[in-house]
Amino acid sequence: MSRLNSCRELEHLCKRLCEERQNITTTVMVCGGTGCRASGSGAVIAAIRNELSQQGLDGKVRLRPTGCHGFCEQGPIVVIEPGNIFYCHVAPDDAFEIVYQTVARGEVIERLLYTDPVSGKKAWTESEITFYSRQDRRLLSQNRKVDPCSIEDYIAAGGYSTLARVLDRVAPDEIVKEIQASGLRGRGGGGFLTGRKWAECREAPGDEKYVICNADEGDPGAYMDRCVLEGNPHQVLEGMMIGAWAVGARKGYIYVRNEYPLAVTNSRVAVEQMRELGLLGDNILGTSFSFDVDVARGGGAFVCGESTALMASLEGSVGEPRPKDVHTVVDGLYHKPTTLNNVETWANVPAIVQNGSAWFASKGTKGSKGTKILALTGRIKNTGLVEVALGTPIRTVVFDIGGGALNGNPIKAVQIGGPSGGCLPVSEFDLPVDFDVLHEIGSMVGSGGMVVMDEESCMVDVAKYFLDFLQDESCGKCVPCRLGIDRMLEIITDITEGRGTLKQLDLLEELAETVAETALCGLGKTAPNPVLSTLRYFRPEYEAHIKDKKCPAGVCKALITYSIDPEKCNGCGVCIRACVHGAITGEKKEAHVIDTALCQKCGICRSECKFDAIRVV
Amino acid sequence: MLQYVNVEIDGAMIRAVKGTSVLDTAIEYGICIPHLCHVSYLSDIGACRLCIVEHVKNGRSNVTTSCTLKVEEGMVIMTNTDKIRRLRRNLAELLVAQAPNSRAIQDIAVRCGVKEVRYPFRNEDCVLCGRCVRVCTEVWKARAIGFVGRGKDRHVEYALGFRPDFCKQCGSCVELCPMTIPPCDGPMKPGEERLCGACESQLMIADETPGSCVWCKLGEGFACGRYA
Amino acid sequence: MSQNLDQILEGRRSQPNQLIEVLQDVQEEYGYIPQEAMRAAAEGLGVPLMEVYRVASFYKAFKLKPCGKNHLIMCMGTACHVRGARLLLEQAEGQCGVSPGEVSPDGLFSVEHVNCLGACALGPIVRENGSFHHHMTPGRLRKLIEVLRRQGTEEIQHVQAQ
Repeated sequence: MSRLNSCRELEHLCKRLCEERQNITTTVMVCGGTGCRASGSGAVIAAIRNELSQQGLDGKVRLRPTGCHGFCEQGPIVVIEPGNIFYCHVAPDDAFEIVYQTVARGEVIERLLYTDPVSGKKAWTESEITFYSRQDRRLLSQNRKVDPCSIEDYIAAGGYSTLARVLDRVAPDEIVKEIQASGLRGRGGGGFLTGRKWAECREAPGDEKYVICNADEGDPGAYMDRCVLEGNPHQVLEGMMIGAWAVGARKGYIYVRNEYPLAVTNSRVAVEQMRELGLLGDNILGTSFSFDVDVARGGGAFVCGESTALMASLEGSVGEPRPKDVHTVVDGLYHKPTTLNNVETWANVPAIVQNGSAWFASKGTKGSKGTKILALTGRIKNTGLVEVALGTPIRTVVFDIGGGALNGNPIKAVQIGGPSGGCLPVSEFDLPVDFDVLHEIGSMVGSGGMVVMDEESCMVDVAKYFLDFLQDESCGKCVPCRLGIDRMLEIITDITEGRGTLKQLDLLEELAETVAETALCGLGKTAPNPVLSTLRYFRPEYEAHIKDKKCPAGVCKALITYSIDPEKCNGCGVCIRACVHGAITGEKKEAHVIDTALCQKCGICRSECKFDAIRVV
Repeated sequence: MLQYVNVEIDGAMIRAVKGTSVLDTAIEYGICIPHLCHVSYLSDIGACRLCIVEHVKNGRSNVTTSCTLKVEEGMVIMTNTDKIRRLRRNLAELLVAQAPNSRAIQDIAVRCGVKEVRYPFRNEDCVLCGRCVRVCTEVWKARAIGFVGRGKDRHVEYALGFRPDFCKQCGSCVELCPMTIPPCDGPMKPGEERLCGACESQLMIADETPGSCVWCKLGEGFACGRYA
Repeated sequence: MSQNLDQILEGRRSQPNQLIEVLQDVQEEYGYIPQEAMRAAAEGLGVPLMEVYRVASFYKAFKLKPCGKNHLIMCMGTACHVRGARLLLEQAEGQCGVSPGEVSPDGLFSVEHVNCLGACALGPIVRENGSFHHHMTPGRLRKLIEVLRRQGTEEIQHVQAQ
């Protein structure tokens, strides 16, 4: 394709691509996101491609590898249009049937349909699956329309037309005002008003400005940004370019964490394709706007999600945060004014500029406008990426969309916002997913990670897990974070190993407050949140560990014992063979016994036992 | 030509030189703000967090380090509120529990009001204040030593572990290091760690005249800005 | 090695902000960051050696020592954690005979934990030699390590026999 030299030429290209695609009667969309690839969707794509060719259909049928569809546990996922037929757990061997029956003859293959775990009914389309139907997929629904490695798909779907209109006849000031009016808040965790950030950057003195896309999604359990960047990099790029136009930047960076190789690849391909078309470079579409983007990889450091650390990393240095007495919109990358926003924030921009701020603000609450993508995982039936309007009650997300408890264990808590967020008990589930409301009760929306926990999760262990994580990821520069987290971890470890005292609980709280007030950066400042929120809502669990030396959830190794229930054990011997520590003895057909002195509580026996005979007390 | 701005520190109206930090200004005027990683002729990194103050702005107060905060016209700063004293005391407690085997660290603990240490003592020989690294980098431009590793593993080391030949063993790093000053009663062997709190007289002065510099012996030990 | 390093440094000379990209390429090429590579990067990019060492030691992606023949990467993200990832990590270290960050004496194994690979719905996740294992259990992990050990031992014997 040749370089586009004007907005008119982009329009013509879009028209031409749409005309070319009119011959396509059927589209087969296969999820090629990291999740489905891990389940083998790469082979499914290849098999279907092969079948289409073998059955002579590749002229009329389009095979489109897409980004993540969000329902990862059901993958590999295949969706077929027309009809919007939704197939899950597709294997390469199913390719023949899919092409022969569904694609060629419009017949549905029952066994590949999704079965509702509660009602047992089969669903033909996404709209019949409660996981999907209760969502508001403004952003995520775009993934199925594009092959991330095809700029043609994006343009045919109307992509870059908003940018073209902006460059042609909308002043930068107006864009800033529109974003301000929309009420868009940062989706990466900070929740800062995007419009205000852009306004401050626009006003900052200097000719050289930068825009950065923060794709260093480090919150464990969160993969929203991966999905958006892998599946729809062009939408993110278009958002960045509109933002660059608004604040006066001519250079941008996408900083992707090292652990997301597919997102790095797809964004690099997108950038290359844009350069070929002249959508990046000098005088884009014949206007005065020149802009280019580089995709940089992180080195494996959660702290690089912090804005000053990310910028230090882009500059080729260690990701050590700097004090932010002067904001980065004034003094940022290379000490120049910089607008740094999260992937999801950028992805929201084109639609806001296209449809208007009122459209965006029509969803959400007074202080939290729009929709938010959440990564719903943990001990529930339906896990995956969920997009809902802000203000949706947690209960709706966990029970209606998430399908409620896995394995019948009652749900106990939900951890929202990653290591900077807090745990909320079931009693608080009527609260809405709202930036201000959650902040007030000691939690936060954060990046949107929601991990659901049931009676088998120990909340003290959860706090310990997060402290461990943060200690691993701390840059180590400042005293409260480096030493404070270490000592909090020391106290919690004492508690989980039966050495805790009540006095230590008070010390833990005091230390947590000190770290929160004095740490240099957001990592340290929010590190105490898991501790403080679990202490606030689950204090009885802490006290059980201390006073009774027991772990009610059966997790903390030092306080539990594995034993075999003689009524359920039928003496099959599987556990004896499985135990790597030689701790189980017993004769065939007789109840086996675990020697607690040798038992290391590794859990192998429990996972191998088919009779649920191994108990944890 | 020096430009001046008017700031208020602990209720006192002060004419500060524009572009200086709140900490430098306070020290200049005899207001004592404890600090460890600050050295007057080196850059300020805000690592130890001991110099925290409350910056009152728009009816809200922000806890921030005075070494990284530059003075501005009309700024209101409070260095000795109950909150600040409590936070500082907790930070100093963490430091002395980590590395009690230094008179400088013990003095800081006393000065910040630490009366008991509620954590098990450790006997580390580095508090990662970074003074050594900064003097080697900024004054001598040698960069023979630097910070290596991350988090708990962060430590000071030569590049690749070998002393380079351009390190002329000038001793500046040792001179600034707070760990090279042994406790009054002598070095503490592992197992003997304690909060010595022996400087009763200094503690009394610090208690009675909170916030004012008394040219104490404490500061001399670790090259407090007043002695620079 | 110097030829490969020259290639990696090409187009990036005297650009200090390329340090991390250079180290990424070195890590991909050699599986760790050799001292020679650090010296070459320092010279080629115009960055003090101390700074190169500092950056190489700060980021988890860069290993300063070679890995084992089978490098197990275990995800310790929250979702994997609540499904028992901690136990899997301890089991892997025990069964392979390694401490964190070290290589087993027979050179066959090293174990590393990462904080979330982003495939949370499929956890617990273990990556090994490019393969993704999802919904890992202690039993399947035990079998996987045994298979890898058998393969590795056979290869060592084969080499020794030659």
